[in-house]
Amino acid sequence: MSSGSPLLADLIEALRCLPGVGGKSAQRMAFHLLERERERGLKLAAAMEQAMRRIGNCTRCRNFSEEPVCALCAGTGRDRHVLCVVESPTDLAAIEQATGYRGQYFVLLGRLSPLDGLGPDELGLAQLAERLGEGEIEEMIIATNPTVEGEATAHYLAQLARAGGVKPTRLAHGVPLGGELEFVDRGTLAHAFGSRQSLE
Amino acid sequence: MRIEQQPAYVLHARPYRETSLLLECLTRDHGRLGVVARGVRRERARLQRAQLEPFQPLAIDLMLRGELATLLGAEPAGLPLRLPGDAGLAGLYLNELVVRLTGRQDPHPPLYEAYAQTLPQLCMPAGLGWTLRRFERDLLDALGYGLQLSFDADSGESLDEDGDYLYRAEHGPVRCAPGTARALRGGDLLAFAQDRKPSAAGLAALRGMMREVIRFHLGGGELRAWRVLAGAVSRR
Repeated sequence: MSSGSPLLADLIEALRCLPGVGGKSAQRMAFHLLERERERGLKLAAAMEQAMRRIGNCTRCRNFSEEPVCALCAGTGRDRHVLCVVESPTDLAAIEQATGYRGQYFVLLGRLSPLDGLGPDELGLAQLAERLGEGEIEEMIIATNPTVEGEATAHYLAQLARAGGVKPTRLAHGVPLGGELEFVDRGTLAHAFGSRQSLE
Repeated sequence: MRIEQQPAYVLHARPYRETSLLLECLTRDHGRLGVVARGVRRERARLQRAQLEPFQPLAIDLMLRGELATLLGAEPAGLPLRLPGDAGLAGLYLNELVVRLTGRQDPHPPLYEAYAQTLPQLCMPAGLGWTLRRFERDLLDALGYGLQLSFDADSGESLDEDGDYLYRAEHGPVRCAPGTARALRGGDLLAFAQDRKPSAAGLAALRGMMREVIRFHLGGGELRAWRVLAGAVSRR
């Protein structure tokens, strides 16, 4: 970048850390902020600074939170007898938006994947076992992704739940709504076929 | 180099750039390959993404240039295999073992055969431990690290069925005093060599021995999957 401004070059380089942003987009963003949105650029910088410094993980569910215990865990409005285990905060957000789930969560921040260096310790499973041991939880909904690693994680979690005297349940998988059987992949179809439900 | 209809399994997939995956594939004729699957993480590519899960027999088309190959196409080469429960954890162990012990673009057709035969056996009641030991033995064989299971490496005498031995990596079994910790019975070593399932105690001792040998070939490292499997089994 031969703009003559080292600060501008720094800004462009820094923006490239965002997903989907390459050199060209970063440059457009930087120029846009400098030419038209100085005020909001400063706001963005301040919000970024605050968020990066203050947001950590909730000590109970491991979701992002600036308090030691997040609002979801601390609040009284949620059912304390059901716990839903998800891989990431984005999965938690998806379930919150799509379902009427009113229980609590636990975020693994990954899945069991030996080749990625992710084992029981990295997923905070000791912390989860401790929570199950508190005796309040009756059902643990395992909502890891339907991938090979997600399934292996689900199996591991189910054992953890049974050891803690908690009933483990797993999200069902099947043919997507509005889908056509012809275009469903074999694995999903085999699974949906195998776990078909009675219409009685 | 264009490679067509190559039998392969995906061992591991990790996100690569925005919408792509970087796959580690075990192919029959080209060994382990790093393969870029472009665009398969897009919403519309979900069908293809599902095919690229581990443990599925595939026939893949590739363009191999330099270190990485580019995926041109993949289709299922058999019924999809489901590995529920412990079999899935064991499958992840198999994959870690293969990735950690093999180099890229180093073909070992017998390894591919052993891997393809072992996967369906993981679901069978024959016992996970025995299936894994056999695969470890065949993997080491295929890579040229084959175990020596017929004579005492110090004295050169044939193994004594009732003798106690310790196995030294790259050397072989050596006689030890009865009751030595982690000792193996000669009979169990011979059974292992002849592909007969040893006694339960023998199987447990073989597990310890194989870990030592694998640790040696990893240069002293540990496999993550050991901890995962240990955690899963201890909760029985």
